Amino acid sequence: MSTSVSSRTFLPERDTRQRLIKWIVALLVPVMVFTIWSGESIINAVISPGTASGNVPTDFPSLVQAAIFTAIFYVAVIALAGYLVAADSGRRGMLELWVDVLVFALVPLVLVIFFGLIIGLALCAIVWPVYFLIRNQVRKALNYTAPSPLEGLKLLDAEQRVLVMERAIAGGFWFGLAFAVVSLIVDLVFFISGSLTTTLLIWAIVRTILLPIAGYFLGRLSGWIALRRTLPARDSSNGNSQSSTNGIGNGRSKRRRLEVLSTSRAKEEVKDLVPNDLPLRSAGAQRFYLIILVAFVLFYPLIDPFLFGFGTDGRLAGYGDAGYYVILALGLNIVVGFAGLLDLGYVAFFAIGSYAWGILGSTQLTNVLNLAPVNPHLLSWLFWPMLLGGALIAAFWGVLLGAPTLRLRGDYLAIVTLGFGEIVPIVFLELDKYSNGPNGIVGVQSPAFFGLQWSVITPTPYYYLILALIAITIFANFRLRDSRLGRAWIAIREDEIAASSSGINLVNTKLFAFGAGAFFSGIAGAYHAAKLGGVSPDNFNFTDSVVFLAMVVIGGIGSIPGVIVGALSVYAVNLFILAQLDTLAADPTNFMFTVKNSIIHVIPGFTFGNIRNLVFGIILVVIMIFRPEGLIPSARRRRELRHAEDEGPGGDVLDVVPGAPGFETEVRVE
Amino acid sequence: MSLFLQELVVGLATGSIYALIALGYTMVYGIIELINFAHGDIFMIGTMISVTILSALGITAESHPTGFTLIGVMVAACLGSMLLCAILGVVIERIAYRPLRNAPRLAPLISAIGVSLILQDVGKLWKGINFISFPQIFPKTSYHLGPAGNGVDISSVYILVIIVAVALMIGLQFMVTRTRIGRAMRAVAQDREAAALMGVNVDQIITVTFFIGASLAGAAGFIYGLQYGSTIFSIGFTLGLFAFTAAVLGGIGNLVGAMLGGVLIGIIEALASLIPDSTAPASHGFGLPHGGAAWHEAIIFAVLILILVFRPSGLLGSQTPEKV
Repeated sequence: MSTSVSSRTFLPERDTRQRLIKWIVALLVPVMVFTIWSGESIINAVISPGTASGNVPTDFPSLVQAAIFTAIFYVAVIALAGYLVAADSGRRGMLELWVDVLVFALVPLVLVIFFGLIIGLALCAIVWPVYFLIRNQVRKALNYTAPSPLEGLKLLDAEQRVLVMERAIAGGFWFGLAFAVVSLIVDLVFFISGSLTTTLLIWAIVRTILLPIAGYFLGRLSGWIALRRTLPARDSSNGNSQSSTNGIGNGRSKRRRLEVLSTSRAKEEVKDLVPNDLPLRSAGAQRFYLIILVAFVLFYPLIDPFLFGFGTDGRLAGYGDAGYYVILALGLNIVVGFAGLLDLGYVAFFAIGSYAWGILGSTQLTNVLNLAPVNPHLLSWLFWPMLLGGALIAAFWGVLLGAPTLRLRGDYLAIVTLGFGEIVPIVFLELDKYSNGPNGIVGVQSPAFFGLQWSVITPTPYYYLILALIAITIFANFRLRDSRLGRAWIAIREDEIAASSSGINLVNTKLFAFGAGAFFSGIAGAYHAAKLGGVSPDNFNFTDSVVFLAMVVIGGIGSIPGVIVGALSVYAVNLFILAQLDTLAADPTNFMFTVKNSIIHVIPGFTFGNIRNLVFGIILVVIMIFRPEGLIPSARRRRELRHAEDEGPGGDVLDVVPGAPGFETEVRVE
Repeated sequence: MSLFLQELVVGLATGSIYALIALGYTMVYGIIELINFAHGDIFMIGTMISVTILSALGITAESHPTGFTLIGVMVAACLGSMLLCAILGVVIERIAYRPLRNAPRLAPLISAIGVSLILQDVGKLWKGINFISFPQIFPKTSYHLGPAGNGVDISSVYILVIIVAVALMIGLQFMVTRTRIGRAMRAVAQDREAAALMGVNVDQIITVTFFIGASLAGAAGFIYGLQYGSTIFSIGFTLGLFAFTAAVLGGIGNLVGAMLGGVLIGIIEALASLIPDSTAPASHGFGLPHGGAAWHEAIIFAVLILILVFRPSGLLGSQTPEKV
C-alpha cells in the first residue's frame, strides 16, 4: 500500500465523512468533558507546575507519572477514533450510537464527577439496566430488528483494505484536529479572560499543531490493527499460488465457517471482524479500553487529587477494601461459577486466611508457645511467604472440607458448606487460647517492603499490593478457566454424569475447585488481616458468605469481568453508599437532611445504615427478576439463556472436524 | 440422669418449634426445589405480629387473663399470626419467586436471600433493634415427675407448645395425605409438567403451599413467644438456619423427615449444653472450651454433616438415582 499521504485523508469521500462525523462527535463529547474536568489540569500541572492549585502534587516523579498517564490516555483515545472509523460498517444509525455513548460514557463520567468514583459507578449500574429496559421497549414499539451481522460479512480485496487504512488515518487525523481546535478555542477564551499563563498558551498552540500530526500516525497504527481483523480475499494477481490454507485463503474459509455456525455463535464471532455493525463492542476496541483502564488504575493514586480533590488517602483505603472483595468474588466464582458447586460457607476460608496471618503476624503465637517475641521488623517481612502460606492453608482446608461434600448434590452440598461456614468462625471464637476469642487479634504486623510506609495514613502501598494481587488472581482465573481443569469444571457444571462418562475424575476435579477457590480467599484473608492490623471474629458471618455469593451472581456467574463488576457494585452499594448517605444527612444544608427528618417522623430512630439490608435485598430481588443472568453474563451463559430466541435453523453445527486447525477455537468454552 | 431427661424435655419443646418452621422449608422445597431463605424471617415477622395482636387486645406483661378470655386471646393471636404470615408468604411468592420459575437455578435462591434481608430490616424498622418482650399470658406451672430431688420438671408452657405443634403437624399430614388439594400438592412435587397435564392448577398449588408453610411459621412464631418471652429482628435468621438444617437432616421434601429432623435438632441443641467446660478446673480437661452451649451451633452442623456423609439425602429422604 502506498506510503504517501493520500488526499482522501484530508478530503474524505461521502461515506467516510459520515463515519467521521458519527465517531468524532461520539468520542469528542466525553473526552472534552474529561479534559475540562481534570485532563487539562493534569497537563497544566505538568507543563507549568507553578500554576497548580489545591493539594495537587508538584514533585518531579509525580509529574512524570501524570505526564505518562495523560499521554497514554490521549494517545489511546485518538487511536481508538481511527480504529472505530475504519471498523464501522456504517449500517447502524448515528443517533442510536450517540445515545449509547451518552449513556455509557457521558453519564458515568458526570456521575463520577459529582458523586465520586465508587458511588458514581454504582449509580451507573442502576442507570444502565434501566436504559436497556427502555431501549428494548422502544425497539419493540418501533418494530426494530438489528441488521443481521452475517449479511455484512465481506471479504476485503486489496483496494478495500487500502480504504480501511485511509479511513483509520482520516479518523485519527480529523479527531486530533477537531480535539485540538476545540481545546484551542477554550484555551483562548481563558487566555483572554486572563486565567491562563503565557507558558500554557504557547503549549496550547504547540498542541494544536502536534495533535493532528500525532493523529495521522496514530490513525495509521489503528488502521494496521483494524486490518488484522479483516477477512482478506484471495488476491487475483497471485491467484495461482497454493496458499489456500495460510493467510489469504483463510478469509474465505473463515467466512464459510461463520456462515455455518449457529446464529448466536456467529454473531459473537462476527462482531470481532472489521468492518462490523458494533465496532464499540468489538475485540479491537476493547484493547484500547483495556489500555486506558490499566493506565488509569496504575496511575490512580497520583491522579486522584486532580480528579476529586482532598481526601485521596481515605478513598485509596476504601478501594483497597473493595479490592479484597474482588479477589474473594473471583475465588468463589471458581467454585460456583466454573464448577457449579453452590458454596454458602465461603467465608470460612476467608476466616482461615485472616487468622493464618493474624496469629503468626502478631505476638499471639509466640505468647501461646511461651517463646520470645519475634523482632517485629523481621515479622513484617514474613508477610510475603505467609501470603502464599495463608492461601495454601486455606486451600488445604478447602480440600479437606470439600471432601465430605463429594457425594452430595445440589442443595445438600449448599447446606454442608453453609455448615462449615458456621462452624469455622465458632471454632475461632471459642478456641480463645489461640485466637483470643471474641476480642480478636490486635497488633497484626503490616507487610514490609524496603522502607515503604504501610499504615492507615499512607494507603498507597496497600493500593498497589491489592492491585498486584487482583492482577494475579485475574490472570490465574483466566488461565484456570481455559485449562484442561477449567474445561473439566465446566463439564461438571453442565452435566455431572456426562462429564464422568467422558473420563473426568469427579473427585479430583471437585476437590481442585474447592481448593482453588479457597486459595484465593486465603490471599484475601491475609491481606485483610494485614491491612486492618487485626482480626475480629465478627467479620465472618453467614451474611458475608451471602454477600460474596451475591457478588458472583449479580455480576454474571462464571464470567470473570462480570464478577469483578459485581464485586465492585455490591461493595459500593452495601458498604459505601448507604454509609455515605448518613454522612450527607448529618449535614443540615444537604438535601438528604430533610429527607431523613421526614422519614424519622414516620419511623423513629431511622438511619440509612439501618436499612442497608433492605436496600441490598431489594436490589438483589430486582436484579434477579429483570436480569437473572447477571450484569455481564459470560458468553456461554448468554447463549444458554437466550437460546430459544436466537437459535437459527442450523442449530449448533460443528463444521470443523475434530483435530483440524481451528477446532480448538470452535469448541472453546467460556 | 435427671439432668439428661430434663434437657430432653427442653429439647423436645424447642424441637417442635424447629419442626414447625422446617415444614415450611421442606414443603416449598418439595414443590419448587427452592431453599426459601425468607421462611425464617416470616417466622420472625410472625412473632412480631403476635406481640402486636396481643397488645392490640390490651394484653400487657402484667395482665393475666384466665378462662375463656385466655383461650380467646391466645387463639386470636395464633390465628392472626398464621393468617397474616400466610398472606405475606403468598405475596413474597408472587413477587419474588414466580417471575423466576424458569430462570437459572441460583436466581430464585438469591432472590430468596434478598427477601430475607428485606424482611429483617422491616422487622428492625418496625420493632427496633433491641429485644422486645412477649407478654407471658399462659400461666406457668411446673409439673414434677419422678422422685423428689431427682426427676423432671415439665413446664406447662412446654406441654402447650408440644400439643400445638403436634396438632398442627397431624393436621398438615392429614391434609397432604387425605385431601384433594394434598394429592395435588404431591402430584406437583413429583412431576410438575405431568401434574399440569392431569389438570392440576400448578400455580394455585404452589400458592397454597406457600400459604400453608408460612402459616405454620406464623404459628411457630406465636408459640416461640410463649416459650421464650422475647423476640428480636434477627431471630428469624438463627432459627431459620436451624430449621432448614432440620429439614435437610430429615431429607428435604419429606414432611415426616422435617418433623423428625426438627425434634432431633432441638434435642441435640439441648443435650449439647451438658458438655462441660474444659477450661473449668472441675472438668479435668474433658469437654469443650466455654462449655457445650457455646458450641451448640457447631455441634448441630457437625452432626448434620456427619449424617449427610453417610446418608446423602438425609435420614428419611429417598435415595433417588440421578436422572440422565
